[in-house]
Amino acid sequence: MPATFTLTDDLFAPEVIADPYTYFGALREIEPVHRNDRFGLWLVTGYEELVWILRHHELFSSAVIKRVEAPPYPPVDPADLPLFDEIRDFRANQLVEQDRPEHLHQRSVVHGYFTPKAMERWRPFVRAAVAEILDGVHAGGTMDVLTELAAPLPVRIIAEMMGVPYEDRDRLRAMADGILYINRGEPHRLRPLVDAVRGIVDYASPLVKERIVEPGTDFISVLAEGESRGVFDRRQVLVNTGLLLFAGHETTMNLICNGLLAFIRNPGQWERLRADPAGMARLATEECLRYDPPVKSTQRIAAADVEIAGRTIRGGEPLRWIMAAANRDPAVFSDPDTFDIGRQPNPHLSFGSGIHYCLGATLARIEGQEVFRGLAERFSRFELATDRIEYQPSLQFRSVKSLPVRWSA
Amino acid sequence: MPERLDVHVDHDRCVGNGMCLEFATGVFAHNARRQAEVVDPEGDAAEDIIVAAENCPTAAIQLSDAATGEPYEV
Repeated sequence: MPATFTLTDDLFAPEVIADPYTYFGALREIEPVHRNDRFGLWLVTGYEELVWILRHHELFSSAVIKRVEAPPYPPVDPADLPLFDEIRDFRANQLVEQDRPEHLHQRSVVHGYFTPKAMERWRPFVRAAVAEILDGVHAGGTMDVLTELAAPLPVRIIAEMMGVPYEDRDRLRAMADGILYINRGEPHRLRPLVDAVRGIVDYASPLVKERIVEPGTDFISVLAEGESRGVFDRRQVLVNTGLLLFAGHETTMNLICNGLLAFIRNPGQWERLRADPAGMARLATEECLRYDPPVKSTQRIAAADVEIAGRTIRGGEPLRWIMAAANRDPAVFSDPDTFDIGRQPNPHLSFGSGIHYCLGATLARIEGQEVFRGLAERFSRFELATDRIEYQPSLQFRSVKSLPVRWSA
Repeated sequence: MPERLDVHVDHDRCVGNGMCLEFATGVFAHNARRQAEVVDPEGDAAEDIIVAAENCPTAAIQLSDAATGEPYEV
């Protein structure tokens, strides 16, 4: 790092949003546990420190939305501020925002649905959905990967998992798109977000009633059964239906877009995948997850005073750990800034670690594997159809605003 | 459900999330590398061990019927 380099404390600075790796990588080298006074946040960027925190979940609360009273950032239209409480209440009820023991009770209701074995049964459906989407775009020669492949694919899968009737797909798609405003910076974003959240409650309410009486094998039935057993109340069933729609959508979109972008910028790795798409898809997906992860960082609140890396985080103080930085810690990964699809082992932290480990990890992996394999089997080359990739102004998600590409068959 | 289970942790799969330690406290502990080890296969009821195995995010816990040796799939 040049001696003149000074780190900004603005985590939303355009250069930090565009390239979090340089910024958080520098922070990791200087101070792996760092206090950012401007945002009142501790930032954890070292791999070892991050794993320690993830494994000591009893010291860190996940009930962030409930406990942090800060106004929305980037700022929203003042007239829309009353909507913020409605969004907070919705999100605070999601199972990811709970601590023990509620979190484990709730998680064990839904876990059976997401086990590696259970998810593997979805692979043929995912493969067919990828093929169908690629059949549709194949003739063109250009596409926006985000809107034509990465966004519709997960919604199609989630719709199937929810057991949504075919004719309702467009409605679900509109709600899924609205929920994505959680991760946006536009001042007017709360309105479409609230519309989507109310929409999912209105839409799912009769489905839940139906499935309490007559349970099926779908995900809403699993939540409804949790209600019958007294683990969830109705509001939580509806909120967690919304959670599936968001968590399975935004993250998968980012995996597909960020992964394909890495391949476009590293043509040698694309050729390596193309030489053996079926054989390389698994490791390649892990490297996409490590190199440019869908979720850059996650927040917690210290539940007690904690000493770590020579710093003391006081009980009640918020901290944010940056998986994007830990995934490139040279203490764990050799050549960490190199995209190497043969990397093994690849103990990235993109799904977290510990008792909050991503419930949808296996599904995400299957979606990534099937997409990268499907693309490599069909297309010989991709190139960017833009000279500028822009990202949503989010601390949490690494989301391109669009990804226009040209290809050769 | 078998009355007694043999419990095995596949260390190629275990990444030390510690979910099993939450559900079957008496059976599992973390070793120095923070991978799960079976410290007492009878430390919890078979029912709890099965919940622990089901909840493992990497499917690293393998069970079999202690009486017959038959694998018990979760």
